[in-house]
Amino acid sequence: MLNTRRQPKPLIRPNRSTRLYSHLRDHLRSLVFSLGKLYRQPLATTLTILMIAVALALPACMYILLDNLRAVTQKWDDSGQITLFLNLETSENDIEKLRSRATALEEIETVEYVSAEQALDEFRALSELDYLIDGLAENPLPPTLTLTPSASAKAPDTLHRLVSDFRSYPDVEHVQLDMQWLQRLQAISDVVQRAITIIGITLAISVLLVVGNSIRLDIENRRDEIEVTKLIGATNRFIRRPFLYGGMWYGLLGGVIALLLVFTVLLVIEQPAQRLVTLYNSEFELIFPDFWQGLGLVTTSIALGVSGSWLAVGRHIARIEPS
Amino acid sequence: MIELQNVTKRYPGNREALAQLNLVLERGEMAFLTGPSGAGKSTLLKLVAAIERPTHGQIFINQRNITHIPKNKVPNLRRYMGIVFQNHHLLYDRNVFENVSLPLRIAGYAQADISRRVRAALDKVSLLNKEHVMPIMLSGGEQQRVGIARAVVNKPAILLADEPTGNLDPQLSAEIMQLFSEFNQVGVTVLVASHDLSLISRMRKRIVRLRGGRCTNGDRPVA
Repeated sequence: MLNTRRQPKPLIRPNRSTRLYSHLRDHLRSLVFSLGKLYRQPLATTLTILMIAVALALPACMYILLDNLRAVTQKWDDSGQITLFLNLETSENDIEKLRSRATALEEIETVEYVSAEQALDEFRALSELDYLIDGLAENPLPPTLTLTPSASAKAPDTLHRLVSDFRSYPDVEHVQLDMQWLQRLQAISDVVQRAITIIGITLAISVLLVVGNSIRLDIENRRDEIEVTKLIGATNRFIRRPFLYGGMWYGLLGGVIALLLVFTVLLVIEQPAQRLVTLYNSEFELIFPDFWQGLGLVTTSIALGVSGSWLAVGRHIARIEPS
Repeated sequence: MIELQNVTKRYPGNREALAQLNLVLERGEMAFLTGPSGAGKSTLLKLVAAIERPTHGQIFINQRNITHIPKNKVPNLRRYMGIVFQNHHLLYDRNVFENVSLPLRIAGYAQADISRRVRAALDKVSLLNKEHVMPIMLSGGEQQRVGIARAVVNKPAILLADEPTGNLDPQLSAEIMQLFSEFNQVGVTVLVASHDLSLISRMRKRIVRLRGGRCTNGDRPVA
């Protein structure tokens, strides 16, 4: 019954290149094998992947929306105008002088003059308070000069210097910089960005823990198998490999689904956002994440998956010894 | 090949599994380890496979002192020996071929070598036609033969077996022992723990009797 006639050829220790080649082959095998493992536990795998996806999609969405807000306010920056309200008694001559003086400044691109009469007409047209305006003894509205700073003078410092310069002009009653609320908005968006970063880091840590825990359970379920492979001479590195690839798959799948979630959210809010921005008289097109941002999200997710499983695998596998 | 010098193994709770045991197994020798349960048979095998460390004494494998072998050197030592277990310890999510090829993959052999070697090992245990079967579909005796194929596939210098016939009927047990004897004939040092005295006395090999962690028949080979 037992065949002893055929003696197998002697086995030669694999040389370096054979070992390298079979090493690569083993990596490939672990890659496929670990994916198969996930496929065979669909419920647990789906839950883990969805947790990763949600945890990553949340900060990613917030980040993209903040990006959009920034883009919109960037456009509004262009309207950062300086309005000079002149004394009521300023003569046409002085106004003309002031106007040419402002035009001469290299920081100022355009100067628009609105006379007191024009201002009253505009007000009349807008307010529909004709009878009240007709009852006024004299025009209470001052003539104004509206200055648009040139692109190079948009920095807040420059604008503030210009404002204080204009304040010192004798005929200028009041200077208004149309910028403050934009600065506030920017300050708010800086705070929000910090908050998003912190939320992002917190959720990244939770991804680490989720993956780490899944892998730890997986290791626990395969304790016997690990003991057996150790008994036949497997190194910790060899045993670790499929678990690390498992973490990689979790990260990859979670990252891709997170990306899909981000796109879904953006598609859902695209129309209402467009309507909102149109109400502010602004051109708007929702910015979607570009290729590199998408790649960045998925890469981050993979890195988190691998690190999470590394955390679980590192000590755990070394501790499992055959007995 | 295997040498134990004055080895004592004490487990927590002061239970002494082996007491000042001396044993020398020459290269190419085959011996049976026998004795009642708790005599220290399994402990001795575990010490040789570096699963456990001795409390006192020294252990040499192929003249190399493995008494205090560091953990990262253990895998290499184990690739030098094949181990057969009573309950097979197969991986049940992989087929027979994959189970048997595992030691070769771990050691990094080329695919062509692996296929050739696995088939040779399966041929040796007469399971060549079952290479794509899952272990769960096999009988107990067949599973044990898969375990043996896996233990010998990388041509180890030492073959250790702990009660390899524990769950098998006499006919199958005799076949398994015959298999070990055949490996011994091609130069493998074989150490088999078994309490099946009638079976091993028929094998006409050296028998080491243990009782209470001590060797009761010295080092005398049985003719």
